[in-house]
Order: sequence, then C-alpha cells, then structure tokens
Amino acid sequence: MMLKKRARLWLAMTLTVSLLALSFACGGKKDTAEDNSSGDNGTTAKTFAPKGDEGTVTGKVNLTGTAPAPQPIDMSQDANCKSKNPNATTETVVAKDGKLQNVFVYIKDGTLADGSKIGDWTFKTPDTEVVLDQNGCHYVPHVIGLQPNQKLKVTNSDPTGHNIHVLPKSGGGNEEWNESQPGGAGPIVKSFKRSEILIPVKCNQHPWMKAYIGVIKHPFFAVTKDDGTFELKGVPPGTYTLAAWHEKYGEKTAQVKVDAKGTATTDFSFDAGGGTASVENGSLEVMPAMDLPMLMKH
Amino acid sequence: MNKGLHRFTLFVTGATLVLIVAGALVTSHDAGLAVPDWPLSFGKVFPEMTGNVFWEHGHRMVAASVGILIIVLNVLFWRYEKRIWVRRLGFVALGAVIAQGLLGGLTVIFWLPLAISAAHATLAQLLFCTLVTLSVFTSPAWSEPHAKIEEKEGTPLKFVCVASAITILIQLVIGATLRHSATWDKYLPTGLLLTHVAGAFAVTMLLGYTIITVHRRHALETYLTTPAGIAATLLVVQLCLGVAAYLTRQASPSGPQPRNPMIGITVAHVACGALVFATTIVLTLRSFRVLKPSSETAKGYQRLSAETS
Repeated sequence: MMLKKRARLWLAMTLTVSLLALSFACGGKKDTAEDNSSGDNGTTAKTFAPKGDEGTVTGKVNLTGTAPAPQPIDMSQDANCKSKNPNATTETVVAKDGKLQNVFVYIKDGTLADGSKIGDWTFKTPDTEVVLDQNGCHYVPHVIGLQPNQKLKVTNSDPTGHNIHVLPKSGGGNEEWNESQPGGAGPIVKSFKRSEILIPVKCNQHPWMKAYIGVIKHPFFAVTKDDGTFELKGVPPGTYTLAAWHEKYGEKTAQVKVDAKGTATTDFSFDAGGGTASVENGSLEVMPAMDLPMLMKH
Repeated sequence: MNKGLHRFTLFVTGATLVLIVAGALVTSHDAGLAVPDWPLSFGKVFPEMTGNVFWEHGHRMVAASVGILIIVLNVLFWRYEKRIWVRRLGFVALGAVIAQGLLGGLTVIFWLPLAISAAHATLAQLLFCTLVTLSVFTSPAWSEPHAKIEEKEGTPLKFVCVASAITILIQLVIGATLRHSATWDKYLPTGLLLTHVAGAFAVTMLLGYTIITVHRRHALETYLTTPAGIAATLLVVQLCLGVAAYLTRQASPSGPQPRNPMIGITVAHVACGALVFATTIVLTLRSFRVLKPSSETAKGYQRLSAETS
C-alpha cells in the first residue's frame, strides 16, 4: 500500500513537471518581425540587367565618443587557440580614429529612376564563393555579406577543431545548421535560401567566436573597412533607403539619391555610449531583463 | 540493516549531485552543442578534450559513470535488500537515469530545444531526489524503532512538508526553464525571471514556515530538527546565491565569453537548489516516519470513517 501511494506520488510529480515544461516551451518563443530589407516580396520579378548608367554610393561610419576598449579573451581552455592567438581581444566594437569597422551597409529599400521598386527585381546569383575562415580561433572576416544561393565557403586554418553553428531566425526561410570542422579538414560549403539581416554564427567549442552574415537579395551592400569607409558599386539611378547595421549599436538608416553614373556620399554616426548587447532589428533580438545594478561592468 | 549498502547508496547519491554540477557547468559554459553528435562524441568514445568539448564530453562521462553506479546499486538491492518496495524504488532510479540519458541525447540531436533541455534538468533533480529517498530508506535511523509522536494541533506538519517539497520542485522546474531560455550572451527573459523570483518568495515563505513549525512543535526531536536546521541554512545560502547569480548573469552578455564568477555562482545556485530540495525530502520522509495524527484529528478520521461505512 505504501509503495502504491509513493508510486502514485511520483507519477503525479512527473506528469506535473512534463506539463509545466511543455507549457513553458510552447509559450517561450515569439515571432520576430518579417524582414523585408531585401525586397523579397513574393511577386513575380524582373531580372535586373545593368544599363551602364549605374552609380556608386560611398561614405564612412563614424563613432562619436570614447570607443569601448576591446576586452581580452581567455583562450586557456584550448592550448591551440592560446598559442596561435595569445593576445586575442573582442571584435564587438573595432574603431580607429573615430571610424567604425565591421558595419554592414546595404540598400534596404528604394525606387529606381524608372519608378520600379528595388524589391520588384531579381538579381543574378554570383558564381564567386564568399569565404569565412576560422583563424586564431576567430572568424575572419567578422562580418560578411552574400546573396541568396551564393556559396559560403567555411574554412579552418586553425590546428584545432571548431563548430560552425549558424543561427538564422526561426520562420525566416533559412535553416539552422551546426557542423564540426576538425583542424585541417576540408571546407564546408553552404548557402542561404532567403535574405536575412543578419545571421549570427557561433562556435560551440569556443564561445567567444562570433561572426555575422548578411544575406541580401541584391548585390548593393558592403562592410566598412578599418577606416570606416564603404562603397556600393553598380547601383542603378534612384532614391534609396540606405541602412547601416552594427552588432552592438543596431541599425541606422538614411535617404540617398543616386544619379546616373554619379557618386552619392552618405555618412553614418553611432554614439559609442549607446547600444546594448542586443540589436534593434534582425535575428539577434532579445528581451532585456530588469535593469538593476551590475557587477563586472566593463 | 546493511550499513555497506547504505554507504554505497550515499555514494551514488553524491555522484548524482556531481552529475548535476557537471550538467550545470555545460549550460553555463554554453557547451551543450560543443559535441554535435550522440551517443558518440565526434564518432569517438573519447575525443580530444579541447575547448567546450571538455565540459560536454566530461558531462557524458560522469553521466555514464552514474548510470553504471545505479545499475550496481540495483544489483546490490536485489542481493541484499529485503524490502521489495525499496528494490522497486531502485528500479525507478534506474529508469530515471536511462530516461535522463535519452533526454540528454535528444537535446543534443535537436539542438537544445527548451522543452527537452528543461525536462533534462528537471529529471536530474528528480533522480537526485529518488536517490536521496533511497539513502533515507536504507539508513540505520530509518529502521530503528521510533516512538510515534503525536502531531500538535494545527495544520499537520507532514502536509506542510509535502507542500514545501512540491513548491520547491515547481521552483526547480522554473529555474531549469529560465537557465535554458537564454545563453550567456543574451539577457534572461523578464517574465520567467520574475516568475522565478516569485517562486523564491513562495519557497521562502513555505519552507520557512515548515522550519519554524518543526522547531516550535518538536524542538527536542533532533530526528526532525536536524534536517530542518540544515534546510534553513541552505535556504539562506541559496537566496544569497540567487541574487549573486542574477547580478553576474546580467553582466554576462557584455563580456567576451562566459566568465568564472558567473559560472561558479550559477552552478553553485543549481547545486544548492538540489540540496534544499533533498533536505526537504529528508524532512518530509522523517516526518511521515515518526509523526502520527493528533488525537483530535484521529477522532475526526474515525467519525468520518464511521459515517461513510
């Protein structure tokens, strides 16, 4: 009788636990807003062909205020990483002389000179591969861009193994994947079906390793260099919304008019003291918790 | 009573607590997917233990060891334990550790879905609780004859203890879900965090009432006051660890990687939570062992029984 009572108690407890866990799981995820930055509107689209009157968009991204100092990374949990990259630091904010590197700049929306929307067009998928290397237990480059179905070639130049864990937002049309790549192994080649701003990449073996992949329907995007400059070539004449996305500071937009064979210049400016660990748009949206005093501020 | 069997049961219980710590280290290091395959690790039994592979594969090794220990415990129960219900509870522990291994594999294969990861963490606590229960049942103190102590007037202590244990279990489920809802580089979801804080308040109130009740009604019964005193100490430690875990965890997303203060404090919070649960289970079992209903309550039962028959 004693056992029967205890067995019933266990059964009831197990069922309660399962139901609670399930209810939390079902309510846990929230849908993120649809990203229309690429102009994937689902309508039948014309294929874009250059007419020879395309222009260029250039500019630079400034960082005002004092840039946060890069934080040292402790790679002692993997001797191969530590020996190859003994003075590794974070790449969240890379700025020199007030110019911000690793900002993804792209045409978010706009109208061509003939009145058509940029989202109404399709663009040829480039044959070139975009390389994401793992070197010194860092992703190099830190931010990359490519078009849907363009090949992404992931290489490993380290003597240690890595996991490439790509985390697109759920329901966005791109699949999450997580593959290990031992040191010296051949490249992993993948592609993305849909546009997405921006897809985080992490290594589950080395948690400091992060990269971001922008997938854009058209080829009008760039990543700022170490002097904060960017250049978008072959942009058809028109008026556009230009966006600049940074992993810490989020996204800013500006209007830009591109004349036939002209060069339009647009600069962006981010406040070094602004931003959070999350971003305003895209795949990295999180819900900050209560704002209480913090330990270990950097 | 077999003292050797009791000592071995205690050893397996301790090993299960180590397993909970190993699992918590995996979560805090964000190492759950460092090894993407299961049951082997990169197709091997023993891969190179670099980076987060150390924590994930280490957890698998500790889990396998605990699984073997529980199998051995069942063999020993079958050989030396005369109480069939204790043997059966040993089988429950075996079933739980097998289910736990499967949940661990599933959460890797499906890339850490919240429901499976939270269930994995919760079942770990239930497995630990089962082994604590077995340790109590195999202890010499359990087999010694105890004079039944009459419950004092008021809510029976046994029921208060059960209510505390259930509340703690619910709080453990919420905590497990909270921990697995965001990795170290993201902020914890506010709703779940506040639910966990509310749970802490409920546990503090109920367990505090339980402890005070034990000391007020049965101050001379060390069989009850000892676990109550330990539970009180652990509860205070756990609340402090909870606040420290929150502060370090909230600072975590701005860091370059999971840092030792956050990892150490959060893992200690998980382990201390398991110990609070275990101590409350011990107190509950002991209260059932030595307490009998008050004479007024017994008369009430008799009257009710007579009326219904």
